[in-house]
Amino acid sequence: MRTEPAHRLSLFRGTVAFSLTEFRVQAHEGIAIFTSMITQVVLLIFVTILARQYLSVALLGAILFSLFTLGQRVLNEAAYIRVDHKLNQLYLASPLTPGGYFLGISVGVLLTYLGPILVLVAIAVVLVPLTPILGLELAAVGIAVWLFASSMGYVISTTFRDMRAIWSNASLLFNLFGVLPPVFYPVRLFPLALRPIALLMPPSAASAILQNTLSPGTLSSSDLLLAVVGLAVETVVMFVFAVAWARRTAQER
Amino acid sequence: MATATSMPATPHDGRVLPAFGVIGWRWISRNPAAAIAPILQPFIFLYFLSLISPPGLFPLEILGAMLFTTQNIGSWVMGDSATWRIELAVQDMFIASPLGKVRYLFGVAFSNLIAAAPALIVLAVLLDVVLPHRVPWTAWLVLGGCLTVVWILFSSIGVAISSRLTSQREIWPVGNLTFTVVGMLSPLYYPLSYLPPTWQRIAHFLPTTYAALLVQGAFGITPATPTQMVEYVALLLGLAVVGTFVALRMYRWRAP
Repeated sequence: MRTEPAHRLSLFRGTVAFSLTEFRVQAHEGIAIFTSMITQVVLLIFVTILARQYLSVALLGAILFSLFTLGQRVLNEAAYIRVDHKLNQLYLASPLTPGGYFLGISVGVLLTYLGPILVLVAIAVVLVPLTPILGLELAAVGIAVWLFASSMGYVISTTFRDMRAIWSNASLLFNLFGVLPPVFYPVRLFPLALRPIALLMPPSAASAILQNTLSPGTLSSSDLLLAVVGLAVETVVMFVFAVAWARRTAQER
Repeated sequence: MATATSMPATPHDGRVLPAFGVIGWRWISRNPAAAIAPILQPFIFLYFLSLISPPGLFPLEILGAMLFTTQNIGSWVMGDSATWRIELAVQDMFIASPLGKVRYLFGVAFSNLIAAAPALIVLAVLLDVVLPHRVPWTAWLVLGGCLTVVWILFSSIGVAISSRLTSQREIWPVGNLTFTVVGMLSPLYYPLSYLPPTWQRIAHFLPTTYAALLVQGAFGITPATPTQMVEYVALLLGLAVVGTFVALRMYRWRAP
């Protein structure tokens, strides 16, 4: 007999099926997959040409930034399904739950764009002294950054009413979070007075945690605590909010 | 009577630039966020570069940001033109109007120049502030000329590519691929001599390389002899004319 614990999972009913659907949809976007690395490659070129000594930090930052910008893909895709194709009502009228719809897009996008990210990881394995500890940390903070960004991307997507401004605005937002704070460059180059802000922004918090492992002593223990706790709390809060927001916006329709 | 069946008088001429100017202005006045995006984008790169590169390169990087912003107008032209055709389906209306494809191109390019103008003005002021020495007024003239050539060339490329797109989803990746890659291959944000030899050779095929060398020479950032400057002008204009001609040939004004 089927037991009730399933009601918790029902919050995300249909995630697997929808994520595979999204994966198949996204996998047809060859150019988009290829161009997902452009900003990272541009910044890595800047670092290689102008400040090669920061290449290890920049490579780890490129991996985190790639995971972070998956939120932009979620934003674009969710808005595209809703605004352009007007398919979301059909999806949400099916047994797929709003939570499953949001998480399905996020996982589908992750599966599609994992290839180029793994290429960056492979380069990092060669060029960065990627110890098992650093590798595990990279996986942990990477998952947190992806979950935060996907949740944020989904919530923001619901505010757009037309497609024209989405790409430029979304790109700007994710570049602001991902390029200005110390993701691609050492946290010590960031103004000291503003460092707590950087440590509270998920991509730079994740980068700072990795930089501290790469060069112990980069962060004080209180700064490290701020980065770790901040990243964990922000990820959980944003994810819970995105699920609640998905349910609320689905009911409104 | 002939007058009873004749078509109503339709205009055969118009004011393209003011009309598209209004479109450009309305777009940014109704969507301030859309205006902020192109303004902030070059500053994000500049901030990053100012942290990691020698301070002496900052004026060169500002000049690069101005050229890159102008080149990116092509990407926005592509986006607008594709959106109007694919999503709003108004291309047929443009075709039915007295507009030709060249006037349409200049109209869309002009409307997007309005969105880029604030960024270009702020960058010009910043450049004037950080320049270590005074420059002759001709340097600003050279800069204005280069920006104009790059604006026309890349707007033509943008409108040509837009006519080949079939879906809204293609706009961002195709634009990003075309305009960012070309921008990065040219020595906009760093001196040409910093690049590996093979890259330098590839860069010599790109018109923005000569625009960059020309403005860097005019502002005294990268030394260039008068002969070299004339050479840069000739190569920039030559490549721009060829590029614009090819783009306009590629441009599909009417559906086949």
